[in-house]
Amino acid sequence: MAAKILSAFRKRNQRLLRKLNDEVLKATAMHCNLACFNLAVFSYVLSKIVSKPRFLRPEYKSGLIGIERVFERLTERLDSASEAELTQIFSELEAAIAHLEEKDARFVVDLVTKGKLKMAATFYAQGMSLGVAAEMTGLEKQEILDYAGETMMFDRLQAEKTISERMKIARKILGG
Amino acid sequence: MTRDVLCDSGVLISLTAGCLDNILYHFSDHNNVRFVIPPSVEYETVTRPLYNNLKKHLFSAIRIKDAIADGVIEVVDAKVEDEARRVMHAANNMFYMKGQPVRLLQFGESEMLALASALGVEDIIVDERTTRMLIEAPFQLKEHLEKEFQVNVMVNKNSFRELSSRISKLNVLRSSELVVLAYENGYFKNFSNLQREALEAALYKMKYSGCSISFDEIKGYIEMER
Repeated sequence: MAAKILSAFRKRNQRLLRKLNDEVLKATAMHCNLACFNLAVFSYVLSKIVSKPRFLRPEYKSGLIGIERVFERLTERLDSASEAELTQIFSELEAAIAHLEEKDARFVVDLVTKGKLKMAATFYAQGMSLGVAAEMTGLEKQEILDYAGETMMFDRLQAEKTISERMKIARKILGG
Repeated sequence: MTRDVLCDSGVLISLTAGCLDNILYHFSDHNNVRFVIPPSVEYETVTRPLYNNLKKHLFSAIRIKDAIADGVIEVVDAKVEDEARRVMHAANNMFYMKGQPVRLLQFGESEMLALASALGVEDIIVDERTTRMLIEAPFQLKEHLEKEFQVNVMVNKNSFRELSSRISKLNVLRSSELVVLAYENGYFKNFSNLQREALEAALYKMKYSGCSISFDEIKGYIEMER
């Protein structure tokens, strides 16, 4: 999967990167491991980079090549590396992306954090608890709640109880 | 007589983000309700944001800290680690996808459920969707997972029974019900002829702050209070 992500990034193919991101996300929810989670985050982040025309300008070329180099090492080492080595490679990838952004920073939240936030909200929408999503991504629950609150995730589920039933319970518990 | 109600971190976050945390004072003063939280919720909502200087969340942290100092929110440490681990184990081994257990709950969330049982508290306020569904409608959560992942989800009956025996009798509220009940009790009366609009705005604020309520439910509440 890492090789497919790298190939899609080299081709600057945003649609393919998003498709691969969907696949990794499903695998992450089932396997819950570091490599899967980071591949989900970085496939999303790479798709965002490719979608921004400014990053395709010549002055960003060396930055993009830097990202490709780290990702290439990741694909080579993914199956055999220890968790510590993988963590190190993912940190280098994050630094390479931060380096790309620092020339012309536009948001308070950087691309990788944005990627983690999107992944956390997706995990939460898929069925994991908020706490699990926060723990996996290292983000604050508050950040995930803010993001989730602006999605339709709570509208896609059938209500477990009617609002009349809920208010009956509320009046019984809290008085009124 | 004081009535204890357990709160999750999401509720405190939603209420303070919407500047509606005075509702907790309202129920504490008028209805003798004591809002109880485990230490992990205090850590998540107060200690960590303050200690790590998380600027975006400092004001919420200070407001919650103040409510704790005022005795409206009480931090109760009942040493429920073993029970919390049992709850977490049952929840995280209840559903299987492609032979793998689905991790649903984290320790802090399990600790809150364990604390409810240890204190004999029957009522909890939870804005977080998965914990609420595990209590109220676990099979609906199973169906949701099946729809999301397009796979069959298998149920481990032993884990299901173990979890169900611990949590299925809990009464669950969300911050949205707290807001509606506060409205019925006159909390919004200072808005005079804008009271209902204030209720509607407050409910939308709760939703956008992460309370697991749908737009249809908000419309329903507004109709109900017409």
